[in-house]
Amino acid sequence: MSGFILRRIAQSILVIWLAYTAVFLAVQALPNDPVTIFLSTDASADPATIAQMKAHYGYDRPLLEQYFSQLGGLLTGNFGYSLSSGTPVAERIAEVAGSTLWLASSAFVFAVVLALVIVTVGTLSKSEWIKKVFLNLPPLMVAIPVFWLGLVLLQILAVQLDVMSLFPDGSFLSLAVPIFVLAVHLSAPIAQVLFKSVQSIQQQPFVDVLRAKGASESWIYFRHLLKNAAPSALSIAAITIGTLLAGSVITETVFARAGLGQLILNAVTVQDIPLVQGLVILMAVAFTGVNLLVDLIHPKLDPRIVTAGSQSARALAA
Amino acid sequence: MRFKTLAFKTSATIAVLGLSLTACSSSGSPSSATNRASEDGSPVSGGTFTYAEVTPINNWQTQAARFYEKANVLNSVLDRLTYYDPETGEIVGWIASKFESNKAKTEYTFTIRDGVTFSNGTALDAAAVKANFDALGLGIESAQIQPNVDFSAYKSSEVVGENQVRVTLKRPDANFLRATTSVTAGLVAPETLKLDNAGQSSISKIVGSGPFVFKSEKADEEVVFSKRADYKWAPETAENQGAAYIDELVIKYLPEVAHRAGAAQSGQVDLVRGLQPVDEQTLTAGGGTVYPASGIDLTANMAAVRIGSGKLADVKVRQALQVGIDRQAIKDTVLSDSYEIAASVVNHKAPGFVDLSAELAYDPEKSKKLLDEAGWKVGADGIREKDGKDLEVTVSSSNNSVVIKPAFELIEQQWRAIGVKLVNRAGDNTFLTNALVDPKIEFFGTRQFAYGGVGPVFGPATNTQTLNADEALNALFLKEQAATTEAEHLKLVGDEQRALVTEKVLSLPLWDEVQVYGANENAHIEFTSGTAPIFQGAWKSEG
Repeated sequence: MSGFILRRIAQSILVIWLAYTAVFLAVQALPNDPVTIFLSTDASADPATIAQMKAHYGYDRPLLEQYFSQLGGLLTGNFGYSLSSGTPVAERIAEVAGSTLWLASSAFVFAVVLALVIVTVGTLSKSEWIKKVFLNLPPLMVAIPVFWLGLVLLQILAVQLDVMSLFPDGSFLSLAVPIFVLAVHLSAPIAQVLFKSVQSIQQQPFVDVLRAKGASESWIYFRHLLKNAAPSALSIAAITIGTLLAGSVITETVFARAGLGQLILNAVTVQDIPLVQGLVILMAVAFTGVNLLVDLIHPKLDPRIVTAGSQSARALAA
Repeated sequence: MRFKTLAFKTSATIAVLGLSLTACSSSGSPSSATNRASEDGSPVSGGTFTYAEVTPINNWQTQAARFYEKANVLNSVLDRLTYYDPETGEIVGWIASKFESNKAKTEYTFTIRDGVTFSNGTALDAAAVKANFDALGLGIESAQIQPNVDFSAYKSSEVVGENQVRVTLKRPDANFLRATTSVTAGLVAPETLKLDNAGQSSISKIVGSGPFVFKSEKADEEVVFSKRADYKWAPETAENQGAAYIDELVIKYLPEVAHRAGAAQSGQVDLVRGLQPVDEQTLTAGGGTVYPASGIDLTANMAAVRIGSGKLADVKVRQALQVGIDRQAIKDTVLSDSYEIAASVVNHKAPGFVDLSAELAYDPEKSKKLLDEAGWKVGADGIREKDGKDLEVTVSSSNNSVVIKPAFELIEQQWRAIGVKLVNRAGDNTFLTNALVDPKIEFFGTRQFAYGGVGPVFGPATNTQTLNADEALNALFLKEQAATTEAEHLKLVGDEQRALVTEKVLSLPLWDEVQVYGANENAHIEFTSGTAPIFQGAWKSEG
C-alpha cells in the first residue's frame, strides 16, 4: 500500500519536473528572449534598455545556469518577475488565484451534484419519457458552449431584466450564475460516463441475483450500481480539471471576473512570457495533484487496484 | 446524431429568444426620464461615474501609457505641462502657464503655474518638472524605465529663476512641444520617480496632480478614484476650471464585446469603450449615446508596407494595391457612421493634413493595368504570378481594434478581384510578435500616436511601420523634425503624406482613427485629441 503511494508521488514529481523542462525549452525555442518579445509589442525599444532589463531579470546568463536557477526558484516558490506588471509572478498569481479557486471548486461540486441528480433520475424514474429526457441532457449540455450560455444569461438577467450586475459585485447571482454556467459544461462528461457505467453494471449477473432476492431498484442503485460506477466517474472528474481551466478562462472573460483564466489570457496577449511560464507550471502542478489525489482515493473504492498493481489500475479506471 | 439535432434546435430557440428580447428593449425603452436634472443644460455635481475599459491594466508606468486603456484613465490622474485643444488645433497652457522657445527650436522655457500641488501635498514646482523631464528624456536606469520615444531629442533641463524650467535639446525637434501634451508625459511627484519598476507600475503608488486621486483597487476587476476637491488648474481652454463634477470615478473592465452596448444602455456603466459598429444603433435606439472620439493625435488606420519580401519592391504593385481597395465598401459593410474614410495618413483634423482622397479612389481597372505592367500575369488559379512566384502577401496586426480584422477580410476579397492573394493574420497577437519586426511580412495594420508629425512615427529611429524602407523618405522625416518654423514644419508634413501615400506608396490609409464610446443617456462627457475621456468635465443628469 505505502509502496503504491510513494511510487505515485514520485511519478507526480517527475511529471512536474518534465513539464517545467518542456516549458523552459519551449521558451528557448522562441525567436527571441522574453524581455525583447515583451518590449517589442510596444514601440521599438532602445537596445541598451533591453540589455539592461535582460541583465536585471537574468536572461543574459548561460542557459544551464538559467535552467537551474529558475528550477531552484520554483522549489522556493519564486516564479520570477511578470514583465507586464513588474511584480513577482507568484504575487500576481496569488492576487487572483483565490477567485478562480472559489469559482472552479464551487462549479466542480455543483457539477458533480448535477451529474448525480441527472443519472439518478434517469435511472430510477418509472416514466420512460422522463428517462429519455434525462438521458439526453448530458449531450445537450456538452453541446452548449460556455461563452454562449454565459452571454445569453447575462443578456437576459443583467441587461434585459436588470436583476444582476454585469460585473462581479459579490451579490448571490453574480456568484451563482458563473458557477452554474461553468458547472453545466463540466457535469456533462461526468454524467455521461456515470450513466454508461451504471448501465453496463446493470447488465451484470449479480444485479439479477439482487433483484431475485427482492432488493428494490433504488437500494440496488445506491448500494451497488453507484458504488461500482464511481471509480470511472472519478477518473473523468479528474480529467475535467483541464475543462475547468479552459471554462474558467471563458467564464471569467464573459463575467468580467478577475482570475487565473483572465490572467492567462492577458499574459498571452501582452506576451508576458515569465507569467505564462509560471501559470503553465502551476496548471501542471494542479493537474498532477488532482490526478494523484484520485489515484490515492481509487484503492478505497476498489481494493483490487493496489493488489493488481498500478498499470492495471489505469486500465480499470478507463 | 439525434442528440446533436435536439441540442441545435434548443440552442436556436434560445438564441431567437435572446435576440427578440434585445429587439424589444431597443424599441420599447421609455424616453420620459431624459435629463431630468439638466433642464437648463448645465452640469450637475455629485455621483459616481463608472467607466468600463476593454482590458485590465497592470502596468501604470506613465511612459507606458501609449496604450488607450492606460492613457484613458491616467489622463484624469496626471496633468501635463501643455494641452492640445482639439477644437482650435492649438497648444495651450496647463501646468505651464507660459512656454516659449528660441528661434532654433533647441531651447524651450516653461513657466510653471503657481500653487499647483501633487495629491500628497508636495508642490508641483520647477524642480519637480525638471525631475519629470529627466525621466522622460533619459529614462530611469535603476527602475528599468526606458526614455520616452517622443523625447529622443532631449538633452538636459535646468531650473531657472523661481518657477521656470529651461529644456535644452540635442537638435531642433518640431514635435517636442506637442509631445508635452501627451498622457505619456504626465507629471508625477518626484517621490514616484524614485520608486522601483514595480512601484512606478502600481496605480496605488503613482502620485499626480490631476483631478482624480487613487482610492482603492481590486486586482483585475476595478480601480476607484475620488475627486480632488481643491483642484483648480485645468487646461486654459477647459470649461470646468475647478474640481470634477463627479465625486467618484470607478474603472471597471468589460472584456466581452457583446455586453458593452447593454452595459451602457442599462446604466450599469456610464461610459464604455470599444463599441462594435453593429451595436451602435442598438444603443442609440435604446436611448444611449454613441460618442465617436476622433484620434487627432494618431495616424489614420493603415496598412503600412514592408518591401522585404521583394513582391512589393516595384512601386507599381504598391500603387495597384492602393487603388485596389474600395474604402467606401469597408465603411458601408464593416464600419459605421462614426468612422470617416481616411484621405491621408494623418487625421482630417490634424495640422498639415493634405487631402489625397482623389489618389485613393477605388479603381480596379487601373490596378489590373499596373500589375500587368509590373509583369505580374494572372495564373490558372486567378492569382497573379511572376518568375514562378504567386502574388501572395500577408497582413499582421494586433487585436486592439474591434474592426481591423473584418476590414482586412473585405480587402482580401477586393484584392482577389485584381489577382492578389492576401493572407489575413490581423488580430493574431502571437503572429504579430515576430511579424512586427519582419520586413518580409508585407503589411502591418496599425495606427500610432503621432503628436503632430509623421516623422516620429515613420522616421528611422523608431520606425516599426515600414522598417526604414526608403532613404530619401528617411531624409525627409529628419528634415521635418528639424523644421524651425511652424509653416515650414506643416509644409514638410504635407510632403511626407504625399510621399508616403502617392509617390512611394508605403502606407495604405484606410480610415481615420476613432474610438467609439457608448454612454448611458444620463452621462455627459467630452474627449481629448488622443480619444481619452475627460472625466474632470464629466457629469451625470441623475444627481
